[in-house]
Amino acid sequence: MLTKPASQDFIKGLWKENPIFRQLLGMCPTLAVTNAVINGLAMGLATAFVLIFSSIVVASIKKLIPNQVRIACYIVIIATFVTMADRFLAAFFPPISKSLGPYVPLIVVNCIILGRQESFSSKNSVGRSLLDALGMSLGFILALLVLSTIREILGAGTFLGHQIMGLWFKPWIIMILPPGAFITLGILIAISLQIEQKAKNKLQRR
Amino acid sequence: MKISSQMIVVLTSVGLLSGGFLATVGQLTKDRIALNKQKEIEKAINIVVPGTSSSHKLYEAKDFSVYGGQDAQGKLLGLAVYVTGVGFQDKITLMFGTNPSLTKIKDLTILDQKETPGLGAKITDREIFLKFWQNKDCIQPLKLRKPPVSSLEELAPSEVNTITGATISSESVLNIVNSSLERLRKLKSEGKLLAEE
Amino acid sequence: MELLAIFIAAILINNFVLHYFLGICPFLGVSKKLDSALSMGLAVTFVMTITAVVSWMINHWILIPYGLDYLQIVSFILVIAALVQLVEMFIRKISPPLYQALGIYLPLITTNCSIMGLALLAALKNYNFIEAVIFGLGSGLGFTLAIILMAGIREQLDLADIPQPLRGAGIALIVAGIMALGFLGFSGMIK
Repeated sequence: MLTKPASQDFIKGLWKENPIFRQLLGMCPTLAVTNAVINGLAMGLATAFVLIFSSIVVASIKKLIPNQVRIACYIVIIATFVTMADRFLAAFFPPISKSLGPYVPLIVVNCIILGRQESFSSKNSVGRSLLDALGMSLGFILALLVLSTIREILGAGTFLGHQIMGLWFKPWIIMILPPGAFITLGILIAISLQIEQKAKNKLQRR
Repeated sequence: MKISSQMIVVLTSVGLLSGGFLATVGQLTKDRIALNKQKEIEKAINIVVPGTSSSHKLYEAKDFSVYGGQDAQGKLLGLAVYVTGVGFQDKITLMFGTNPSLTKIKDLTILDQKETPGLGAKITDREIFLKFWQNKDCIQPLKLRKPPVSSLEELAPSEVNTITGATISSESVLNIVNSSLERLRKLKSEGKLLAEE
Repeated sequence: MELLAIFIAAILINNFVLHYFLGICPFLGVSKKLDSALSMGLAVTFVMTITAVVSWMINHWILIPYGLDYLQIVSFILVIAALVQLVEMFIRKISPPLYQALGIYLPLITTNCSIMGLALLAALKNYNFIEAVIFGLGSGLGFTLAIILMAGIREQLDLADIPQPLRGAGIALIVAGIMALGFLGFSGMIK
């Protein structure tokens, strides 16, 4: 079996194995914090921080961890970085910490992170695990940005707090509320599946 | 058994390392976080009791604290009540300032709310809602003016404005203030507000 | 009564799935059939109530008195993992038929954001012991309500002709959105 080139480790996280649109993981924070672009961005960066450093640590010490206790160890490692991210935000960016609320600590149960440790970092080198983590993180951030951009522009007429829709636009408040989150994500997932299907059809016809 | 002891060693070391790491991070950020909270409260006190140069806590209970705001000479300018109560969607945390004799509301500011964006969330807006809370007579319980008015002059001294489409959020703020005033008067008569001039 | 308000709020107004977005994975994954949805809901309610109790004890007897609140995340998640293991072993011993019905779902609950979310929210809202228990119970029942409603709708949807891209997660999320819209109507119930 050919080992995929290292670049694949990075790129797959962006589209083919995008954590939200394809793997359908980590949806809880996705729906909760995408009511504004700044929140989605902060959450994406915090999650990226936890994912990248957890992957580095797990890949570095994977040979030392006995199989039976691996999940417990992963959880402790992940929880440590999550706490760091949470405390950092609370200390230096209080308003963002307030709007993200309990969702930063909830990164610890974000299936993406534990999933990558279990399926990749525990079996691959530090270098490849880092690329994998970077790719997944970027894919996650991109998905959050797409979702939060749609919700903020349609729901408040702003982007990153700046008014971009003219006064003629009456915001669709529903987009900022839970129903808007569910429906937008549902439609985006359907669209990404449609794009994937069309790409497959094209390949088959060749 | 070798595997068992390895398991325990690994688990313990991971636990200890994590604990140690977190203790360091915790200590480093603890002061900053406490400072942020303190700054938030001081900023709010400066809004609701204008002219305050220093403040101190007079009373504390769950979801209800009273601060005294003093000017540079140490004279008591007013009391600031920091209170959390029921809103439309979830709890609302606000602070309002009164004069020392509890006959006038100086101002009000919202510190935390989870009301409906675009509607109830407008209670944080100074132009639409908060400015109508300045210098109100509160000897009698305050009342809500429905339908809303657009200028300060149209309100009676003990009336506050409603937000169009967000009556319940506006009313929640009113109820929180009225019940806090009652509680404040009771505390004062019982002498529970310390060090008052 | 304050407690009744917390209870009703947890089930209807601040429904864990439809308002706090917690527990989406099992909500989408286990809501295809009504009976498995009910089992999952009850398992979650059970674990939530116990977690509310235990996390409250840890928070108020250990973390806060000793100024260890930075250990909150680590301690909560480890306790939840251990709790779920214990509950699974307990149910297996006490009632094998119950284990047959609920058992498979229990390990899934550990990384379920809803349990950790419950522990964090109860701590955030500063509830006392009784309030925390009621909150746990109510939130679990709210989750159960949402997942049963979803399962009922999905069983019907199975018979409908849905465009390919929308099948599965897409349509489920849109249905959830409409449900959330309905539940919004409960806001303001409590004055």
